[in-house]
Amino acid sequence: MTLQELMQRAGMWRGGELPPLATRPTGFEGLDAILPGGGWPRSGLIEILTASRGIGALRLVLPMLAAASRDGDWLVWVDPPHIPYAPALDAGGVVLDRVLLVDLPARSGAGGEDDEILWACEQALRFADCAVALMWLGAAIPTLPLRRLQLAAEAGATTGIVFRPAACAAQSSPAVLRLALGTPAGDEGATPLALEVEVLKARGTHHGARCRLDL
Amino acid sequence: MARITARVAVSISDRLPEADLMAAPSPITPLQPGRRSADVETAPRPSRAPDRPAARTHAPLWLHLHLPHLALEVLTRGGDGDRACVLVEPGARRPQVLLTNRHAAALGIRCGMPLAAAHALGGINVLEREERAEQAALTRLCQWALQFTSELSAVAPDGLVLEIDGSLKLFGGLESLLRQLRGGLRRLGYRADYAVAPTPLAAALLARFRPRAIVRDKEQLPDSLAHLPLAALRLEPAVQAALSQLGVRTLGDCRRLPRSGLARRFSPLLLEHLDRLFGLRADPRPGFAPPRRFASAIELPWEVDSARALLVAGERLLGELGGYLRGSSALTRRLHWHLVDRDGGRECFELALAEASRDEQHMLLLLRETLMRKRLAVPVRAIGLDVADLVSERAPHVQDLFTPRRQGHAEGYAAFADRVRARCGERALRGLGVLPQHRPEAAFGWRRPLLNAGRMTTLAEQGEGGRQVRRPLWLLERPLRLAVRDSQPWFEGPLALVPGRERIQSAWWEEESLARDYFTAITTRGGRLWVFRELDGARRWYLHGIFE
Repeated sequence: MTLQELMQRAGMWRGGELPPLATRPTGFEGLDAILPGGGWPRSGLIEILTASRGIGALRLVLPMLAAASRDGDWLVWVDPPHIPYAPALDAGGVVLDRVLLVDLPARSGAGGEDDEILWACEQALRFADCAVALMWLGAAIPTLPLRRLQLAAEAGATTGIVFRPAACAAQSSPAVLRLALGTPAGDEGATPLALEVEVLKARGTHHGARCRLDL
Repeated sequence: MARITARVAVSISDRLPEADLMAAPSPITPLQPGRRSADVETAPRPSRAPDRPAARTHAPLWLHLHLPHLALEVLTRGGDGDRACVLVEPGARRPQVLLTNRHAAALGIRCGMPLAAAHALGGINVLEREERAEQAALTRLCQWALQFTSELSAVAPDGLVLEIDGSLKLFGGLESLLRQLRGGLRRLGYRADYAVAPTPLAAALLARFRPRAIVRDKEQLPDSLAHLPLAALRLEPAVQAALSQLGVRTLGDCRRLPRSGLARRFSPLLLEHLDRLFGLRADPRPGFAPPRRFASAIELPWEVDSARALLVAGERLLGELGGYLRGSSALTRRLHWHLVDRDGGRECFELALAEASRDEQHMLLLLRETLMRKRLAVPVRAIGLDVADLVSERAPHVQDLFTPRRQGHAEGYAAFADRVRARCGERALRGLGVLPQHRPEAAFGWRRPLLNAGRMTTLAEQGEGGRQVRRPLWLLERPLRLAVRDSQPWFEGPLALVPGRERIQSAWWEEESLARDYFTAITTRGGRLWVFRELDGARRWYLHGIFE
């Protein structure tokens, strides 16, 4: 293996220089501008922390879901908290034939349920023809299993989107990209909906960047 | 009679060296004219071999598998193999140990020992011999071995003979074939000795008395068999005794006797047997026809109440299935398993594969996931596997679109789907579709995931999506009743309604009547919700979706 070949390998980069990052445009110019590689990474975990319900976390990734489904890749939703509403997805450009939902058996409340969810997440991330796996994890998930998911996402070349509550911001995360979403102060009633995105972590130099999007 | 005996004695007394015997056309004289002369003429004579232009290219080569421990292994192979087991004859008044496994042998228990003595040496599991199970196991071994050759048969009571000349190339030579064969047998829970020879009888004898012998040329057969004891032929006791009285101890001695005398003095059958053994006479074997479906079961040596312990037997059954499927060039999608519990109750379950396969490892993984989810209420004493749904391997491959496009440790849809279904239930994977319904709850439907998606566009683009109205990305399973404070709907605070409402009313012919005004509501923290107010009755407020 020559030095050049070595430098080409993912996971190897020199200070001050970004490795070539395969990305998919987010569909929002303002967001593309602040993300390394100009879009969502095609492999690895993206952690999206939301302060509250209904502020548009799913709409933020909808253009990417639409694009991936048109490429013929699967979108796997692992145990979503509500029913992904088919008419809205269809209107958003998502090819429904490519949507796959993983329902876990009824939760009995015992501690094992997190394990089940993490297991299913890992399967989805390792699944080669899955472009995007959508996951909803609570604040109680420690860093170690997330690291496992990150490795699975890299092995399966899958974008894993983890939605978590804003309370997780203090926890360290192995994700490639970490965003915090909020509603800009004073714009609660704005139409169209305004969303503020802050990059908490990005492999690269852009962390701390913010942008405001109109969804 | 006396004259014959004298002739026999003479021919033994002036014994020729082995090599001379091979070269000389006699002392094995042809049979009397008129009796099976055709056989004699066609039978290749060792002495003429060098004169022939070339040896036949497709001389059959037989592999005999001898399973000396079959009787015990049939009963113990479903267990995890870490207990001392001995086999006894059923119903014997003073039972003796017939066979021992490795752990029993380590305790110092030997075959032939009285059972009482064996008990004194340590804690052992005593199993009674079941000859029918042995025969069934041999038949199933034939099924399994069809993957190596199509020409094979069982040799009762404990052997299998395979014609392998035609398979050597495919399996990368004799050594590689033997390695695969023996590795496979080990995974099924059997240990086997083997020998290879140009005739099936010779292979059988060598496997017993000179295990691992490999004789590829018929010319070497007399040499390699010469020193085997006469007892190896398993003659009738009377014949055996008469021969040993003549001083015949080995097969080599026996072969040197004059043929005519041997035929008259004993039985022509003995001569026939010897001719088959040395390849002077054809020895056709009945073919083995595999059954149309696979069915096998393993009785566990002891009752088992943990799913994990069942996996050993499950793996063995999958090994049998794999051989059967490879032998019949088939794949399968459905595995029907059953467990028989102590009370004779039967529990069935099915493993369905998303894609027809015969990958034993994948199936084992699914079995493990399924068994781990099971609670065994009553201890289990047998596990069985039936597969009837066979798919020809040559069927056109329809998965082209979905073969994995990416590299790395990634997997295809089938592997993913099977695993999730095995662990989370058959209905764990669902697809989504849009239905042409007015009512929000009815405007979507669940369905089985579509493997070969026809279209890559949305309904909205095709103009089938109906009216373009704003719909939330989340729909609640059932509408959530909202509190009302100061005549304002309330959800984690007062909700502000965005001007503009959508009225949804069911038609008079619809069973479920529905009349609602839908609004977009904004929470105090900026979230957008989809709420409705009943038009009839108590005019209550409900949360029905989230514009996430």
